[in-house]
Amino acid sequence: MTGDRRKISRRAVLGSLGAVVAAARVGWRPALAAPAGIVQKAIPATGERMPVIGMGSWITFNVGDDEKLRDARVEVLRTFFDRGGAMIDSSPMYGSSEDVIGYGLARLKNTQDLFSATKVWTPLQWHGVKQMESSLDLWGLETFDLLQVHNLLNWEGHLETLLEWKAHGRVRYIGVTTSHGSRHDELEKIMMAQPIDFVQFTYNVLDRAAEKRLLPLAAERGLAVIVNRPFRRGALFDRFADKPLPEWAGECDCANWAQIFLKFIVSHPAVTCAIPATTRVDHMQENMGAAYGRLPDGALRTRIVRYIESL
Amino acid sequence: MLPFSREAFFAVFAHYNAAIWPAHIAAYALGGLLVLLALKPRPGNGRIVAAVLAIAWLWMGIVYHMLYFAPINWGAWVFGTFFIGQGLLLAWAGIRGKLDVHFKRNLFGAVGLGFIAFSMILYPLIGLATDHGWPRGPMFGVAPCPTVIFTVGMLLITTPRAPVHLLIVPVLWSLIGGAAAWQLGILEDLALPIAGISGVCLVFWKNRRARGLA
Repeated sequence: MTGDRRKISRRAVLGSLGAVVAAARVGWRPALAAPAGIVQKAIPATGERMPVIGMGSWITFNVGDDEKLRDARVEVLRTFFDRGGAMIDSSPMYGSSEDVIGYGLARLKNTQDLFSATKVWTPLQWHGVKQMESSLDLWGLETFDLLQVHNLLNWEGHLETLLEWKAHGRVRYIGVTTSHGSRHDELEKIMMAQPIDFVQFTYNVLDRAAEKRLLPLAAERGLAVIVNRPFRRGALFDRFADKPLPEWAGECDCANWAQIFLKFIVSHPAVTCAIPATTRVDHMQENMGAAYGRLPDGALRTRIVRYIESL
Repeated sequence: MLPFSREAFFAVFAHYNAAIWPAHIAAYALGGLLVLLALKPRPGNGRIVAAVLAIAWLWMGIVYHMLYFAPINWGAWVFGTFFIGQGLLLAWAGIRGKLDVHFKRNLFGAVGLGFIAFSMILYPLIGLATDHGWPRGPMFGVAPCPTVIFTVGMLLITTPRAPVHLLIVPVLWSLIGGAAAWQLGILEDLALPIAGISGVCLVFWKNRRARGLA
C-alpha cells in the first residue's frame, strides 16, 4: 500500500508539474492578493483580472539621469503599488521613461502585482526586436506582460514578431495603440482581423468618439481596452478643476475631479484599464482612489457628460 | 508637444553644466576673443573665427545633443547631426577664408553686436532672474540657443559678405528652439526666432549691398 501511495504520489507530482508548465505557456499566473475592495476587470482573452486604474509614463517619467527626480518617481511608483496598482505602460518613444521605471522597480519591494506593458516604436521590423530586447533590459524583466505596436507604426511587421514572442513565452499578451483619436478606421480593421489581445486608444469625458465603434467592437471581439489620455494631458483639469464637484459625485464615491474623469472612463463596460500619468504622489493617491468604491452606472454616466457639457 | 517636462529639461542642463565645468570659462574667453577680432580686425582673422565657431558647434552636436539631450529627446540625434554638419561647414568656410569679421558702425554691425552681447551677457542674466540660473540654464558657447544667437551676430559682421548657407542650420534651430521655448516658458529663448528671422533678412540685405558696392 505504501509503495502504491508512493507511485501515485510521484505520478500526481509529475502530473501537477506538467499542468504548471502548460499553464505557464498559455500565460496563466496565479491570482495575487489584490487590496480589499479594489475594482478589477477581466482581460477577455484569459479572464485574468486587473485593477481598472494603471499608470502611464509619457513625459512624467522621462527625467533622464537626475537622481533627485528619479527618486521622486520611485515614490510615485511606491504609492501606485501600495494602492494596488498593476499595469504600468511605457514606450521607447518616451525617452528615459523605461529606464526610470526600471530604476524604480529595482528599488521597491512591493512590485509583485506589476503588469508590465510597453511598446515597439520603429519603422523597421528588425530594429523592433532590438528595441524590445532593450526594453526588457531597461525594465529589468525576463518577459513582458503586454507588448503593443505603438501608434500602428509598421504594425504588420511588428505583429509578426509579437506573435512569435508570444509563442515562445516572451510576452503574455500583444496589442496595438493609437492616441488623440487618430487612425480609428485603420485600428478598426486591425481589431476585426488580427489575433491581438489588447487595444489602446484615447477616450475621456470630452473625447468620446470611441463609443461609436471602437468600444463596442472591442467588446464584440473580446479585446481588452486600455485608455490613454484620460485627462487630455491635464487639459481637463485646466478647464474644470475650479468648478464645483457636482453634489451627486458621492453617488459613485468620487472625492475629486480626477476620480470623476477616471470613473467615467472605467465604468464603460468595454474598458479594462485607464492609464493616467503623474509626477506627484498626491495625484497618484487621487488617481488610485478611482479604483475603489462604486462606479457610475449608465444613468450616472449620462449625468456626468451632461454636467461637463453644461460647464 | 515636447516629450519632456520643463523640470527634466533643466535637470539635463544641471548635469551637463556640472559635468563640463570649467569649459564655460574657455567658451567665454574664446567668445571674447572673437569680439576683439571683430573690433580690431586683421587679415585672416576669419580662420580663428571659423575654428572657434566650428569647435563650438561640433561640441554641441556631439556632447550636448547626443550625449546629454538624447536620453530625454530622441530628436536630439537628428539635431546633433545637423549641428555637426554646421560645425564642418564653418570649418570649411574658415579654410576658404570666408569668415573674416569686421565690426562696422552701421545697422548690420549694431544688430550683430547686439546679438553677441545678448547671447553672452543678457541671456544668462534673464535665466538667473527667472528660475533657471547656473547650473540649470543653457550657457553661451556650450549650449545651442545662446550660441546660435551669437553665430547669427557674427555672420552679420562678416566681411565682405556672409556665406548664406551658414545661416540654414541656425535659422532652423531658431524656429525649433523658439517653439520649444514657448512651450517651456523660457523667456530668453524667445529671442531665438527674432535673431534667426531678422538675421537672415539682414544678411541678405548686407550681401546685396556688398555686391552692389563691389
